[in-house]
Formats: sequence, C-alpha cells, structure tokens
Amino acid sequence: MTWTDEELVARSISGDADSFNELILRWERPIYALAYRTIGREEDARDVCQETFLRAFRALPGFRGQAKFSSWLYRIALNLCRDWVRRERRTPVVQAPEDVDLMDLAAAAEPSESIEDLVARKDLSRAVEKAMALLPEEQRTAIVLKEYHGLTFQEIADLIGCPLSTVKTRLYQGLTVLRRELAKNASGPKGPALQR
Amino acid sequence: MTDMRCGYAGDRDDTLIAYLYDDIDPAARAAFDAHLAGCEPCRAELEALGGVRTTLAHWNPPEPKSLAAANPQSATRNPPWWRTIPAWAQVAAALLFLGVSAGIANLDVRYDRNGLAIRTGWWKPAAQSAQGPAATEQIGVASQSGVGQGFSPASKADLTALERQLRTEFRSLAATSSVAGARPAASDAEILRKVRALIDDTERRQQRELALRLAQAITDVNAARQADLRRVDLTLNRVENNLGVEVLKNRQSMQYLMRVNQRQ
Repeated sequence: MTWTDEELVARSISGDADSFNELILRWERPIYALAYRTIGREEDARDVCQETFLRAFRALPGFRGQAKFSSWLYRIALNLCRDWVRRERRTPVVQAPEDVDLMDLAAAAEPSESIEDLVARKDLSRAVEKAMALLPEEQRTAIVLKEYHGLTFQEIADLIGCPLSTVKTRLYQGLTVLRRELAKNASGPKGPALQR
Repeated sequence: MTDMRCGYAGDRDDTLIAYLYDDIDPAARAAFDAHLAGCEPCRAELEALGGVRTTLAHWNPPEPKSLAAANPQSATRNPPWWRTIPAWAQVAAALLFLGVSAGIANLDVRYDRNGLAIRTGWWKPAAQSAQGPAATEQIGVASQSGVGQGFSPASKADLTALERQLRTEFRSLAATSSVAGARPAASDAEILRKVRALIDDTERRQQRELALRLAQAITDVNAARQADLRRVDLTLNRVENNLGVEVLKNRQSMQYLMRVNQRQ
C-alpha cells in the first residue's frame, strides 16, 4: 500500500519510525538535486540534504499540515542553502573537471548515443552549470524551483516568501542572463554543441 | 530588457514568463496570443527563452553515490543478475556442476560379474601396465562385454607388459635353478603356483592403488560438492534475508537520526 506524504507524516508523529524513513527515501533525491543546483558542490549538497531531513524530523511534531510536506521540506532545504551561501560568502562553485574521462563517459552513454554526442551532452551540461553559477542566488533559486521541480509561481512565492510578481521578475531576469551567457559559450570553441 | 518597439499594455516581462511556462490564466493567455501575432520582438524573445529552457534540461546533478549506497531500495530496484535466477534453477546448476566435475574426473562406475568397479581418469595406462595382470583381467572383461571399446589400446599394452613380466620372471626362475645346481628342477605345477602367487601379489597391490585413487576421487568430489552447496546456501540466504537487511538498514538510519536529534 502506498501512503501519501501527509499520512506518513501522521504516522511518523505517532511514533512510527519506518514511516519517516519512507519519507526520506521518497524525497532525498529531489532535495539533493535542489541543494546541488543551488550551491553547486556535491559534498555540501549532501550535507544540506541530511541536515534538511534532520531538521524536518525534529520539527515534525510542530508540522500541522498547513502546507504540503514537500513544500515544507523545500523551505527547510532552501533556508539551509541560503545559510550556506551566506556563511561561505561566495557564489556557488561549479565542479567542472578540465579533462574528460572517456571511461566515465562511456558508462554514462545512452544505448544509441555516439561518443561525440555524449561529449557534446556533457559539455552542454557543464555550460549550463557555469551559467547558473553566475546568477544571483534569488534568481537561481527561482529558476531551479520552476525549471527542475515544476513548482507553480504561487508555490515558489510561498516558499521564498515574496510577491508573485517578484518570482516572475526573477525568472525573467535569470533566463535573460542565461540566454546571454549560453550564447557566449555557443560562439566559443565548443559552440556547436551548445547550439543544438 | 523589454524591447522598446513592443507596445504591450500590461507588465510585458511577467506575462511573457507566465506564457513561457504556461502558468497563466486563459484570459491573459488569449490577450498575449493576440499581441504575439503582431509583435516580432516578443515572438523572437519567447523563442529564445524557450531555447534556454531546452538547454537547461541538459543539466543533471551527479548521481549521489553515498545516497544511492545508503538507499536500501536501490538493491530491490536493480537486483543482481543471480537474484533473478529461481532457487530451483540454482540447485539444478549445482547438480550439473557436480556431474561435470565427475565427468572431468573421468569417473567410471561399473557393475558386472566381478562386482562393483570404480575408476578415475587419473589412472594412467602406463601405470596400469606396470601393475600387472589384474588390471588386464578387468580390462579384458570390459572389452568382451563391448562396453569399454576405448580401453582396447590399453589392453594390448597391458598384455604386452604382462608377457614381458612373465618372461622376465621365468628367466629369473631359470637362473635361480641353475645357480642352485643340486636342486631338482621345479615342476610345471610349482612354476604355475609361483606365477599365480606373483599374480595375486600384483593384484593386491593394484587393489590397494585403486582404493587410494578412489578415496582421492571421492574426497575431491565431496570437497567440490560441499563448496558448491555452501555457495548455493549463501545465495539462498541472501535472497531470503534481503528484506531483513533492508529493514535493519532502515532501523539503523532512524537510530542515527534519533541519536543526533537527542544530542542537539
């Protein structure tokens, strides 16, 4: 039987540890992806992910279902990401290795994908990562929540705690910067890959 | 960033974003559709931002290795190939392995008028020939019954060896007789008795050798069987205990969370 998040929360509050573990299994990957795209470091993203669930577990008795559990979890994770950025006083670092490991690439290849396509895909992913790292934190967060987590403008506004129009403005500004930066990459030595 | 040539009445940038993500109410959408029909800059920017979104889709975070390793469900999502084999098939494979092992050992089990006979492939024909008539007798029986066609060359070799041995022994007996001089020549019956004694002695040595070889073969097969059974048993235990391991991992992770929570 598949429980909803809210049912699992209720069971967790009543002392069922397995239910909270099920929530962790259900949400650890989205939360990790959110943290990684926001702060750009694998290890720190993992720490943020763990800390998110730890704080959620501690605060669970106070969770009254006024918001969706996922939104509540996202808010905790975003606050932790924001703390991380402020504490570190730096923009997200892009982990982009200079050399390309063909064995790793081969392992990541899709069945019908040539090695050229695979390298192009990796280059594209790296270019996006670099461009995202240039964005101010609030624009980056808005784009990550909208683009990769499919939240509505209203949900993002509720999460971040800002007006709806501000969310749209941040998205517009962020996408405009990304458009410019990706166009720069497209005209560079690896341009053809980015122009696909 | 709004193009100065665009004369959209409302908040053009917000509307463009809402339109881009299709998170817009129908009335505003219809109005912007009408605007787009006559506004080339807005159409161009919408297309460009759509291209940015397409490019963004190529950015995937790296797979969190430690999270995947700690995730008990990952084991059930992608079970190892051997877990997909049913238990009966694993047992059948083990039995097949035992059969192949016996075949490699060239184990030859035969029951005939001489009783039960077991041989292994380690029994070399050269050794047989040196061991004398008993081996020849058994091989001869097999040849007559038509079962041991593959032993024909060995039979000839054994017969030749036996003939050579008998000639040698006869010569040694004759020499002994001549050295003794005064002693009367041995009768045919005496010679025959001695030859039979020699044959009996050789046969006993051969039987001891056979027993040793057989014990070695049984020991080897038993060792292989036990190792294989252990492997099958381990595999079955892993399959059966899979759920238990997952539950244990879940409990451990929760205990960790509880401990950290109590510390803080």
